[in-house]
Amino acid sequence: MTDVIVVEKPDLREKRLSFALAEDRVAHYPEFRDFFVRTFDLDRKGLAEPGFVQAPSGLGYALIFLGRSGEPFPSGVEIHAIVDALEPVAEETLDRDLYAILRWMIAGIGAPWTAEDFDRTGRLYRIPAAASA
Amino acid sequence: MAVKPKGTGTRRAGGGGIVDLSLENTLPEAVRAQWPYKPRYADANGWRMHYIDEGEGDPVVLLHGNPTWGFLYREMIDPLVRSGRRVIVPDMIGFGLSEKPTREQAHSLDGHAANLTALMRQLDLTRIMLVCHDWGGPTGLSFAMSNPARVRALTIMSTWAWPLPPAEFHTRIFPWRMMHAPLVGPYLLGKHRALAGRGVYLSVVDREKFGRSAQAVYESALPEPASRLLTWVWPRWIPLDENARALPRFRWLEQKLSQCKLPAMIIWGREDDVFDAATFSHRFKQLLPHAEGPFLVTGRHFLQEDSGPEIADLIRHFLNRLDERERSQ
Repeated sequence: MTDVIVVEKPDLREKRLSFALAEDRVAHYPEFRDFFVRTFDLDRKGLAEPGFVQAPSGLGYALIFLGRSGEPFPSGVEIHAIVDALEPVAEETLDRDLYAILRWMIAGIGAPWTAEDFDRTGRLYRIPAAASA
Repeated sequence: MAVKPKGTGTRRAGGGGIVDLSLENTLPEAVRAQWPYKPRYADANGWRMHYIDEGEGDPVVLLHGNPTWGFLYREMIDPLVRSGRRVIVPDMIGFGLSEKPTREQAHSLDGHAANLTALMRQLDLTRIMLVCHDWGGPTGLSFAMSNPARVRALTIMSTWAWPLPPAEFHTRIFPWRMMHAPLVGPYLLGKHRALAGRGVYLSVVDREKFGRSAQAVYESALPEPASRLLTWVWPRWIPLDENARALPRFRWLEQKLSQCKLPAMIIWGREDDVFDAATFSHRFKQLLPHAEGPFLVTGRHFLQEDSGPEIADLIRHFLNRLDERERSQ
């Protein structure tokens, strides 16, 4: 599985952000929030701009971070695919990319969280993208 | 507020309480064959709660957990009704035919206990036999411990009611913590309905029968990713450390249960590998030493799928013994 890479803000002209996945409680396990803060320099950037990654398909994704009064930032995150403005999303591609982004997140968080355990969990529940991971 | 628990054909507009829509059972025919009951709805603590209400007599309230709905009790309702009991089966808010909030913050252990309390008060139920399974345990027992005058007896199955750790299984990253981790939960359990589909399948004994008769029903009750929100939110309410949100409630619950004198019965699945019988039924027996059981039946975590009629028999006989004891006093 090709790596996910953090990229600069892409050109969004004639593109739209296509909602893919949301998390209301990113600090349920605090190390997940720490990963995003570290990876996207959120203590400095705050809400100024989304984080951007490129997934194995070549498609770009925007990670939009959410704040909630009384909780450390970010409290939540949405993942949006950056797609051609008037084109539908290719579902299989999106699903494989999401799997890769989550796998990259888990690997980046580090022990005791492992990409191997993520893959095992995906295979246990017969997630299609896990079959080739 | 006037309560009309079994009215026909009226619609009450506005406010809280029972909303008798007199709807026909609009479930698909294959489901109706197994679930022929009239749907009823209540405004419970601000949410639209579905329940069924069958039979006459002292009430038996059957509480399900994650990710099921009242359908889990389909093989128990008719035998209990025929034995002279009124059987009420609510669908927890977020599951089954009840309203499904789409924000994580809409769900809390105390909130779900309050939802159940609202329904029990609107129906003005007393002498309740409360049957608790999975998250129907912490929510139902919280209701029972805060409304003891309404409860006659308890039946406890494959659940827990004390602070950490719930089970070694729940502390492991593979598969439990990974399954509901941030973003992973919405992906695996939301987009791919891992718990409502394969998760329940893995937690029954007769998987062939389950696959043939029930799996599609559970999956179809949670048709879209957003409708499956509670399947990954409930796991996050299981206390794993001293900072857990629900820890004070579980401490209260354990303390209340240790003082509880309500008649009780413990039933467990022999093959339960989530809340194993040796550990969990024994712990309940320590909390409620006067409880009957534990009675072991064929079943993993969703023991009703494998032993529904046998469990109904155990409840029926237990209630008959309570009736006889009361008559002789």
